[in-house]
Amino acid sequence: MKKEGEVMIDHRASPGLTADEAVKFGYHPDQVKEGALFEAATMTCAHCNTIVIRNPMRVRERATCLQCNQYICDLCDGARRHPDYVHRPWKAIADLVQSGKFTMAGTSVNPVLIPRKGD
Amino acid sequence: MAKWSFKSAALTFTAAAAGSAIGSASTYMALKGGSGTQVVDVLELSVSGKATASTVAAMELSRASTLETTPTTLAAPHSAGPLHPATAALAAPPVPFVAAGTQPTPSNTVTDAKLNLALNLFGGIYRWNASPTQQWTIVGNTAPGGESVLWNNSSAGGSSGLADAHILYEPY
Repeated sequence: MKKEGEVMIDHRASPGLTADEAVKFGYHPDQVKEGALFEAATMTCAHCNTIVIRNPMRVRERATCLQCNQYICDLCDGARRHPDYVHRPWKAIADLVQSGKFTMAGTSVNPVLIPRKGD
Repeated sequence: MAKWSFKSAALTFTAAAAGSAIGSASTYMALKGGSGTQVVDVLELSVSGKATASTVAAMELSRASTLETTPTTLAAPHSAGPLHPATAALAAPPVPFVAAGTQPTPSNTVTDAKLNLALNLFGGIYRWNASPTQQWTIVGNTAPGGESVLWNNSSAGGSSGLADAHILYEPY
């Protein structure tokens, strides 16, 4: 497992979120209620670079890319099952853009690499 | 490379709709790559609420689906500078800004990365740290990978509120 990031949401000196608001924003109400301090690990998808806050109550398995052996998010897990999928982690996209030969368009999950003029 | 800090002070993060250009200047923080080949790692985000009444803000870090036009040079009380005082000047420094001719459009595309930073700005504090190799990365300076926006999403139910925030980043 790669090292995890961390998130801290401190409502110890705040009224926090109501139960309805917490659910709307994807939290458990107890995590962000008045007086609560929420700390959790985060993981970064190797393919689209999105940050995922780990839900300790999740029972579904999390995806691992068998080609780069790293964690990938649910959206990228779906994308990699498409027949025309090309495996290209975010790090590889960054390297290609940094090379000066490509620009990136599309979206994080479905990136499109466009050759720059002159290459 | 050196790490930098982009800090906003007393910014009212006015809630704005996803997928449309943000309506007003000084209601968001945006960071764009300094060149078409630059890579910028975002290492930490922090939001400290300063509202004087309960205000739940749907803060997000999002990719920009449409870039701004003509970013305004950052001015006090906001700042962006290297964490180490001996940092050499960059040939193409990343572009931090809170205002522009036309403000950036935060992506509302399902398949674009976003980071949820929702909190109550009445005393709430949010901080996210990346571990090494797990950064949020900005690539180049074209949409959507080349610019990221810290903003308040009305489409997610956010209400406008006052806050201080910083983004720690490292350009390559």
